[in-house]
Amino acid sequence: MAEQRGTVGGPVLTEWFATADLHKLDVYEALGGYSALRKVVSGMTALQVIDEVKVSGLRGRGGADFPTATKWSFVPKDHPGPKFIVVNADESEPGSAKDRYLLENSPHMLLEGAAIATFAIGGHDAWVYIRGEYDLPFEMLRDAIAEARTKGYLGAKPFGADYPLDVHLYRGHGAYICGEETALLESLEGKRAQPRSRPPFPAVKGAWGLPTAVNNVETLATVPWIIRHSGAEYATRGTEKAKGTRMVTVSGDVQKPGNYEIEIGVTYRHIIEELAGGALPGRKLKVFWPGGSSAKVLPASMLDTSTDLDGLKALGTMGGSGGIIVMDDSHCVVKGAARLLRFYAHESCGKCTPCRVGGNWAVRTYDRILAGEGSQLDLNILDRVQQGLQAGRCLCGLGDAAGWVIQSTMTHFRNEYEEHSLHNTCSVEKVAVGA
Amino acid sequence: MNTLSEHVIEEIRELPGKYPQPRSAVMPALDLAQEELGHLTQEAMTQVAEALQLDPGYVEGVATFYTLFHLEPVGKHRFYVCTNLSCMLRGSESIIERLKVAIGVTEAGEVSKDGMFSYEEVECLGACEYAPVCRLDHRYEKDLTETKIDQLVNDRRLPRRYQKHATAAPATRKPAARRTTRSTRTKTKKADG
Repeated sequence: MAEQRGTVGGPVLTEWFATADLHKLDVYEALGGYSALRKVVSGMTALQVIDEVKVSGLRGRGGADFPTATKWSFVPKDHPGPKFIVVNADESEPGSAKDRYLLENSPHMLLEGAAIATFAIGGHDAWVYIRGEYDLPFEMLRDAIAEARTKGYLGAKPFGADYPLDVHLYRGHGAYICGEETALLESLEGKRAQPRSRPPFPAVKGAWGLPTAVNNVETLATVPWIIRHSGAEYATRGTEKAKGTRMVTVSGDVQKPGNYEIEIGVTYRHIIEELAGGALPGRKLKVFWPGGSSAKVLPASMLDTSTDLDGLKALGTMGGSGGIIVMDDSHCVVKGAARLLRFYAHESCGKCTPCRVGGNWAVRTYDRILAGEGSQLDLNILDRVQQGLQAGRCLCGLGDAAGWVIQSTMTHFRNEYEEHSLHNTCSVEKVAVGA
Repeated sequence: MNTLSEHVIEEIRELPGKYPQPRSAVMPALDLAQEELGHLTQEAMTQVAEALQLDPGYVEGVATFYTLFHLEPVGKHRFYVCTNLSCMLRGSESIIERLKVAIGVTEAGEVSKDGMFSYEEVECLGACEYAPVCRLDHRYEKDLTETKIDQLVNDRRLPRRYQKHATAAPATRKPAARRTTRSTRTKTKKADG
């Protein structure tokens, strides 16, 4: 059993995680694993699968929150040649570790989900694009695929059905941008990972120029449960519009960092204070990123915010990939934002000018401010840069996310920015030193 | 050694057939090259290009885009230390400082005199619940402390039979998986072919 820090035995995704050796096919199968794939290939039509997932209300858990069944239905049914499911296992959003957690515990769950999805779009092959740093999950998936092929669950006749299904692996080599689906497809084709302009969308022209649906690991890992239990049962969980459960990763200044399966709609207070044990002794929570570093920050006063995905959108932020980063009163927000901007500048693929140039401008400005050489001018520059980065001026969201970090931290923690820029002091770090 | 052996080139020539389009073989090919030489030399990238019938400039363009490809020599054991926000909040700055002292280098990318170690600061490794973390010899080292850094370094300085990390493998780990050897590769190909 993989090392676990988080939910075991939760309602959906982590239901079986307390079972030892769940990564082995016989253990997974004894609990009911692969019964969904068996059911699908031995009696359901592709349309029925899509409908079941539609009823469940499942939306993409990679960050974009797009309805999964709708994405599948965009793949043309009458296309004569190959079509693909591409699994986005390039998890690299700062603060997000849940896909790794799912893969290390239950690789067969992803394989089963990917095979079902491939059936649903009328394809025969799924490709898992897994980030190069994930050695252990890669090896576990490789072994799981070998087991499933040996058993005849993947291959020419899965469960005896005359419908070939297989899953293949492709390793990434270190690039955040590959989490963006069209950049991922470029990378899968052996190119520099730079986002494509759309249209055409991947559903029409995706991997190797063929119709493709790109789904996140967690999204696909949810699918077998939906087929086993029904979409309607999945939809009894969650909020009115955002159905089901999801994984969140809590990291940073909390007592029990970990991956937790939550019912959508619980509050961040519940996650951070109850599940993750709250602030470290003697410290106070200050701010949190509700859905990966790319989600606009919320101050600790907004801990009672619901994880309802639509509610978060209304607040101008997002549930994103579920990576909740918590910072307490011993850490300086300006330093944290500066670190994130260094990340976005480094990971910009360079294709679009606002992102390529804006990120570097922001880094240089933060460097000046933190070196004690800041001024009002630098605050003005940051404000201009964040505006330039945002508003969909680029092919993908990386630039926007960089802008949101600057904008949201400046909005809520203007005082810390002014201390650094105008007075060359940091009351926060002084607290830390004294503590 | 700057050039690839014939058997690696043979292996690279077989790669394109595994993918719907041959170009997808470029990264797996660079992987094999880097595995043999430690880093990607100009000669190796040219050999990869020839084997895959691609332009050498194209191959280099791909190699320079991704952080896991090294165009400069690296240590035998490479620390990829996450310094992104979650790890920073948990003290990655002091981990880096300790690591520099432990392996005797002054900056990222520098190789220790004995050729054993080098380190890089990397972006989020996706193991934030174990922050601070690093990747070392194809495994994640979690909940890093300064003491643990010393242990990891010292352990790798011991003769191989005394190395703790050579035996302390979790149940799920395949013996050959620690360092990508030729036999692992062959196995990978079979499983994923």
